[in-house]
Amino acid sequence: MDDLTEMLKGTLEGCVLHIISSEETYGYAITRRLNELGFTDVAEGTVYTILVRLERNGLVQVTKRPSGLGPPRKFFALNDTGRQELATFWAKWEYLSSRIDKLKEGGR
Amino acid sequence: MTFWETITGSDLTREWKGFQARADALPDDHRAAWEQINAHLFPHADFTGRSLMPILDGVLGLLEETAADGRSAHEVLGDDLPGFCSALVGGEGARSHRDRWREQLNRNVARKLGRLGG
Repeated sequence: MDDLTEMLKGTLEGCVLHIISSEETYGYAITRRLNELGFTDVAEGTVYTILVRLERNGLVQVTKRPSGLGPPRKFFALNDTGRQELATFWAKWEYLSSRIDKLKEGGR
Repeated sequence: MTFWETITGSDLTREWKGFQARADALPDDHRAAWEQINAHLFPHADFTGRSLMPILDGVLGLLEETAADGRSAHEVLGDDLPGFCSALVGGEGARSHRDRWREQLNRNVARKLGRLGG
């Protein structure tokens, strides 16, 4: 689906938080996961800027691990603040999606 | 950082040289992207550019990592380089030199007008 980017923008941070919550992972793997889900427009650069923001806001724990070739890779895991943030994200998402569904189903 | 480095910015020069050496080792498309990112980010720097250094270090790391994986710069960064850069420095509303100049100008004009009793 084209032109999803604008709509996705506000929720992408939550999606990345959720992906990190299940296991410690790194930028490229997160991007691939999103692409597999059908968000083919999401580039690694976009995920990178989100990861920078999560780190700056103290929501993740970062570990550098050597990779096969090239420089060491940054791995991300959620800390307690991050888990709280994720819970808040899902609460907001529930609210938003239930309202919009209601609207679609003919409520006013 | 020593006092001397704070005053002269000599550590920045050294760090900058390090960045350039790393950038020179990148494949052509990644290096081109690096140069464009620099051009986009510099208006967001503070007076010395110190605030940008950690950001640039991270971007260079991303480019090195993806180059080692054999992925193209375009594949990694997508089409929206300005968007990527403004997200890096903290969202669309990131203050740049231009914003600061604009504010200053507005302030000065308002003051002048106030003085004229306009």
